[in-house]
Amino acid sequence: MPPDDGHGRRDYDVVVVGGGVVGCAIAWRLGFTTARVALVEAAHDVGEGASKGNTGIATCGADCTPGTLEADLVTRSSPRWEELCASLDTPWRRIGTLAVATTAKEERDLCHLRDQARENGCRADVVTGDEARALEPLIAAKARAAVHIPDDGIVDSLRLTVGYAELAARNGVAVLTGAPVTGIDREDGRIAAVRTARGRLAARFVVNAAGLEAGRISALAGGDEFEMWPRQGQYWLLDRELGGRFAKIVGGVPTEVTRGIYCVPTTNGSLLLGPTAVDAEYPGDRAVDAETLGSVFAAAQRLVPAVRRDQAIKLFAANRPASDPVYRVGRDSRVANLVHAAGIRSTGVSSSPATADLVHSLLADAGAPVDVGDASAERSLPPLPRLLGNPDPERLLDLDPRYGQIVCACEQVTAAEIAAACAMRVPPRSLDALRKRTRAAGGRCQGTVCLAGVSFLLSLHMGMQPWEIPVGEPEATLGVAS
Amino acid sequence: MTVAIVGAGITGLACAAELAPGERVEVFDRIPVAGGVHGWRAPETVALERSALRAGAILRLGVTAIRWEDGRLLAVGPDGVHRLPASVLVVASGTRPLTRAELGLAGGRPAGVVPAPVACHLAENGLLAGRRPCVVGGGDWAHRACHELLAAGAAAVTMLAPDRLRRPMPDGVDVVEGLSPTAVEGGPRVTALVAGEEWIACDAVVLAHGLAPLRNVEGAVWDAPGVVHAQPLDDPATVAGAREAGLRAAAEVRALIGSKAAA
Repeated sequence: MPPDDGHGRRDYDVVVVGGGVVGCAIAWRLGFTTARVALVEAAHDVGEGASKGNTGIATCGADCTPGTLEADLVTRSSPRWEELCASLDTPWRRIGTLAVATTAKEERDLCHLRDQARENGCRADVVTGDEARALEPLIAAKARAAVHIPDDGIVDSLRLTVGYAELAARNGVAVLTGAPVTGIDREDGRIAAVRTARGRLAARFVVNAAGLEAGRISALAGGDEFEMWPRQGQYWLLDRELGGRFAKIVGGVPTEVTRGIYCVPTTNGSLLLGPTAVDAEYPGDRAVDAETLGSVFAAAQRLVPAVRRDQAIKLFAANRPASDPVYRVGRDSRVANLVHAAGIRSTGVSSSPATADLVHSLLADAGAPVDVGDASAERSLPPLPRLLGNPDPERLLDLDPRYGQIVCACEQVTAAEIAAACAMRVPPRSLDALRKRTRAAGGRCQGTVCLAGVSFLLSLHMGMQPWEIPVGEPEATLGVAS
Repeated sequence: MTVAIVGAGITGLACAAELAPGERVEVFDRIPVAGGVHGWRAPETVALERSALRAGAILRLGVTAIRWEDGRLLAVGPDGVHRLPASVLVVASGTRPLTRAELGLAGGRPAGVVPAPVACHLAENGLLAGRRPCVVGGGDWAHRACHELLAAGAAAVTMLAPDRLRRPMPDGVDVVEGLSPTAVEGGPRVTALVAGEEWIACDAVVLAHGLAPLRNVEGAVWDAPGVVHAQPLDDPATVAGAREAGLRAAAEVRALIGSKAAA
């Protein structure tokens, strides 16, 4: 059965396995070339793994270990965010981080953090407690000192991942979701084709960006043996009435074990507290527990006393793809036409543009036809305006009267925005996917008021019954047949 | 002086009817009819709507208030954008049951964990949130959800009421009293609601416990200058309680206007 890729093709120069932020960034980069490219993703949407459960920090690389590939890729990505996010219609702000010391020992460690940041080429200064509170009045009175890292930013990592995939799709990349890899065909020690639930794709080159599944994909291809395991992070999401008051990302002082708990204002105004970092047993386990969440909250409250439990709008967990070593980005030692972009555990968002460039050059080195630029490729996505916070709502209603129909009251998402999301090249196939694109049902009432209406609208666009609408994966539907 | 009221339920209408003889009053509601959860055809709604209109209040129905900034309310509707400079904003936009995060429910994120208003809205359209749902709560929303789910064809409904029930349990519902839910289990669809040591098997969890004010006007979600909140958390809700809340809000508005005039 030929894959339903909308292009009538079954053979590709490059097949990218994995539609997380890393795979989508690679597809985005390859979309600017004349190569024929497909992206295959097991889940119903891109960005369903670690890419949808992270802090949304685009770090400048200050706390990366100097001299590592991770530090190199993160620091090379950092100056590009303004232009990149503008081109991908993705919310982004360079607001800076305060790493706050509340004990004498932490205060002593600040110099190390500053020196490490500077070794990575990042701006960083030690400031007094009073100076830190002037930069961010919400931090605790007992903050003794802090390191200010002005070039850290916050990014909507969901929109970033969708944006990469959407621009790739507009530039001819076949984005196949709901297409888990079931097998890899080999000929003469090379990969010949990738078999998926949506058909067999002949592939001249394959990029393994499968996150937690990367070890399995490499094994299927007869490539290098390595193990991936989930490292779970638990988070609180607090109301934007508090998050909107934050001027800075506020963190503690990283230790050798963990970067620690952060208070991160998000680009949509809410506030994330987290993450924890505990190796988990099952990749699909996204359960939260009261004890862990309690410890996250306590750590956040030490930094910012104003956080309150009754401001919580969501409690969630996600798994980062851990491996040893991290950042396994390179050509496979056994399979000549396989390139890995795996083990990108914690900084996948922050390094994604430079990782995409590196994989592009690795493919070129391996002989893939990715060296000719496509002059007709679009460089940016057309922006889809939003009503929330818009300074000129009159103009929006002139553009499309459906901007006057608010569907999600908390996030002020209109019928116009939902229609625009449904018309994307990588359209939403579930309520979660629609939320990632529009924020519908993602606000303080978590869909209590709007979810039925949102599902009715999505069902019209998808041609399904409302109860059949998937919440996340296709078998997880909103309702049941009556 | 101009008073903007968000919400044309019993509370908002009562406040408008009380204030409109003396002040310029505009009432906004995102739904194109008045009455809120009490219903647009109820005699109390019809009577209050009539007296508010007779007193000179302007009702802007189907228009959603979205922002309160520098003494101005921004609202949008299919007819366009409204900008209303006002001395006071009354938020009378009703209540909702608590969310999963507000209940502190642990566990994964299986499908089938549905807020009661959504389950009711689906059921009114003949759609079932689950065949064997467990409804969390013992108040208005829980009773309504049990009723609607049974009417839509649910095979068995369990009600988990954290507090003791103060009214007769609905017919055909198994009631578990005095236990608070702690976690949901299952995937991709929910298979059980956990309450301490108890496991209640189910294929949907309907969140109907507690009440929180619905506040979605940017800049008026928390206490803010010039803002009066009128969102009674009575359960069971009564018309008398809602009307009283509206009259209390009107008194607060008068006090605010009075102090402004004095200044």
